[in-house]
Amino acid sequence: MSYIHFPVIAVMTLFMGAFLTVVFGRKSKAVRNILALAASCTAFVLICCLIKPVLIDGEIISYWMGNWSPVEGYAIGIGYEIDQLGMFFALITVFTVLMSCIYSIRYMERDSALDFYNVLFLMLSGSVLGLVLTGDVFNMFIMIEIMTFTSVGLAAFRNNKAGSVEAGFKYLVIGSIGSSMTLFGVAILYGNCHTLNMAQLSSILAGKLTPSTLMAFALMFTGLAVKSYIVPFHTPAADAYTTAPASISMVFSGMVNKAGVYGMIRLVYIIFRAMDKSSVQLLMVIFGVVTMFVGVTMALAQHDFKRLLAFHSISQIGYVITAAGLGSALGLTAGLFHAMNHTLFKGLLFLCAGAVYYAAGTTNLDKLGGLSKKMPKTCICFLIGAFSISGLPPFNGFASKWLVYQAVYEKAVTSGNIFYAFATVAAVVVSVMTLASFIKVTQAVFFGQLPASLENVQEVPALMRLPMWIMSALCVLTGVFYDQVNKWLLAPAAGAALNVSGYIDRMMGEGYAAEAGVVNIPVFAARFSFWNPVVWLLLFIIVLAAFCLAIIGSSGDRASISSAPADAEDGKYATFFSGEKSMPSHVSGSDLFWGFKKNWKGYFKVMDGIHSGRVNDYALYVVCAAALITVFVFGFVR
Amino acid sequence: MIIVNYIASVVLVVLGLYVIMTKKHLIKIVLGMSIVDYGINLFIVSTGFNEGGTAPIYKMSEFFRGSFFVDPVPQALTLTSIVIGACVDAMALSLVVKLYKQYHTTNSDEIRRLRG
Amino acid sequence: MKLKEGIKETNVVVKSGADMVLPFAVVFGLYVILFGTVSPGGGFQGGVMVASACILIYLGYGYKATTTVINREVLEVNEALGAIIYVLLATCGIFLGVRFCQNVFYDIGNVGDLISAGTVTFMSFAVGYKVLTGVGFLLLLMLYLLGDGDEEEEVDEE
Repeated sequence: MSYIHFPVIAVMTLFMGAFLTVVFGRKSKAVRNILALAASCTAFVLICCLIKPVLIDGEIISYWMGNWSPVEGYAIGIGYEIDQLGMFFALITVFTVLMSCIYSIRYMERDSALDFYNVLFLMLSGSVLGLVLTGDVFNMFIMIEIMTFTSVGLAAFRNNKAGSVEAGFKYLVIGSIGSSMTLFGVAILYGNCHTLNMAQLSSILAGKLTPSTLMAFALMFTGLAVKSYIVPFHTPAADAYTTAPASISMVFSGMVNKAGVYGMIRLVYIIFRAMDKSSVQLLMVIFGVVTMFVGVTMALAQHDFKRLLAFHSISQIGYVITAAGLGSALGLTAGLFHAMNHTLFKGLLFLCAGAVYYAAGTTNLDKLGGLSKKMPKTCICFLIGAFSISGLPPFNGFASKWLVYQAVYEKAVTSGNIFYAFATVAAVVVSVMTLASFIKVTQAVFFGQLPASLENVQEVPALMRLPMWIMSALCVLTGVFYDQVNKWLLAPAAGAALNVSGYIDRMMGEGYAAEAGVVNIPVFAARFSFWNPVVWLLLFIIVLAAFCLAIIGSSGDRASISSAPADAEDGKYATFFSGEKSMPSHVSGSDLFWGFKKNWKGYFKVMDGIHSGRVNDYALYVVCAAALITVFVFGFVR
Repeated sequence: MIIVNYIASVVLVVLGLYVIMTKKHLIKIVLGMSIVDYGINLFIVSTGFNEGGTAPIYKMSEFFRGSFFVDPVPQALTLTSIVIGACVDAMALSLVVKLYKQYHTTNSDEIRRLRG
Repeated sequence: MKLKEGIKETNVVVKSGADMVLPFAVVFGLYVILFGTVSPGGGFQGGVMVASACILIYLGYGYKATTTVINREVLEVNEALGAIIYVLLATCGIFLGVRFCQNVFYDIGNVGDLISAGTVTFMSFAVGYKVLTGVGFLLLLMLYLLGDGDEEEEVDEE
């Protein structure tokens, strides 16, 4: 059997594992675990066998289902096209699935109805793998729908906990609006071009941007943005990541998010080939910057461990969208690198949160503390994850964030638009606030005083520690050997996204792209210039200027920072530092930055009002953003 | 190219979105989601119409090789979309039943335990 | 509204109406599934029609009679079996050396017969079986969820 069948077999293996679990796994725990592990390992091995032909030799696998090849230049079948960009995301997917499967063998043993859990988990994995490997836009929509349904089921899985079913319902309503918009866009595209194949769509839409195709672009962009959970579509994600079991939160933030990002890159880079227009770049970067900022400021105000990690996840996706939206090879490389690193370190952080929940029984930051004495190995893994996300060398977060800064700064220099300089400053400031937030979380959970209720907490079992060790090791390795990662994984993937004529030719036959007049987008070459001193100096001057502005702007408040009177009605901010040593201090761990929160009280009040918890409000944000995107696209994209 | 169908489908989608945004009762929100889906189904099946074409079923109603027929692909897409709509309805209604048992209300103003 | 006890005393009109419509619904649904490749219809449409048998029995005879006649566990397992058969039929292509989902039974029967369209006929049967059992299971689950009393649900507060 030649390797061209492997992608389809991998997807079908995951689905078959789900169906077999329904038939055989209803009573016996061993059968369930064996089936899940077998399916995940088979998919992992099959996708890894494809590394040699696709990534190393540079071949694009083109597979028409049922052997329905194009007839007279028209694509009539469903095609699976695996180029290096899809392979990159497929590797991330199968790795995350395998780690989550190993982790959930011990983590979920206290829950009941585990056959439903395994079925939903395997179908989620199969649908995301199918999404990144397909070359047909309606097949992509179907996989998005399967992904939405299974995610809803998994978010509402622990329906005896407060808020799970509510989170699942909100996720379903908002996700359904997004999917419907994507379907509407696909229908408009079909009505225009009478084909559903991505390669043929790309060659037909070459420079033909009529009002109806612009509408399709706006609708599909909105629909895929809802799936990536960028602001203002992020509201169900914060709830769902909190209430889902930790092994599933890791899959959500590591795989499902990336599927939305992959969809957006495919849409803008390959189907519409609109990445050379400055208006589209501006659209994506605006979304990215707003997402970064809102995500990290909301995270500073949270009291729940997993909800805080969820907001950080949203903020890091903002980095990826900003970098991928710049339109240059360096930007796309930075975006893809950060996406891969985000899966690794965010997955690690969610697994640590799950370990804390398994051992201590709660994720409320006000009730945890001092766990480093009882769970030292989990503490080390968490520290590695926290350093990675804050961007400290030599971990992988530093390498990818530095690339993002460099890419945005280079865009600011070459295009002369002042907005990109502002975006650079925003990226650096958000990184600093991420570090602040993780200092708070580490102090709240692992250091500090051990409450009396957590006296007999034990370290988690070895099978749960194994995925955490593997992911920490990868965090360190990809940070130290970033050159190798670039050469083998990132450069082929970014090159595939920019080489559209190669994609079209492989799918529809040689010479098709040239006939349709497809020209590659002119881009700048990617180079890793970490040690260019001029770049460092200019960056330092920009950050210093921003800092001075902030000091001058808030000079009126400086008196109140040092001597804050304890408000009588604001007991949350009241501090009490004297007393016995045995009495616990009244500054709870989650309020470490109470001064910051007090100074920005107006902003946090507005943000609290926006995240009201009502599903009607969340739907209103989606529809308003869709309207704004449509107006922008019609007004500025030529 | 039937203009009435396209206008009706856009009206349905807008009405459905209005219902999701303004109504407080959970089952009305689920109905709004369904109306959006039906509007899009009407749109998809209308894109395949060819004026004067016959049904694309072999051995039925004057269909032979080379005859002019309506496009069968949007019909398949619509069928898939109807199935997906049915599944969304089923899932949403089960969640509403479970929510009612836990919160004893179906008003979306009071189902707000996760916020902030 | 307690549904489990509400429909204990059914009307003789409703009961005989359900009695008369049920065989027609099931047979017509099976016809639509079987002749899916030569006339309009197919797996999903016919499957939903056959699954309406669950609702008809519930309307005529009540919840207890429905659970006596139709077993929910059996429906759940059979749904997965239908899906497995579909995937195995699609993988026949790979076993015979050609592509996935290829039409490998293309020389069975003449055009216009019942079994003539190749692999698609059998796939349509598998889809019909899956939808039949799946939608039936869904309906029974909803009836169970609604009719199982109005007990309070225990929710763990954080």
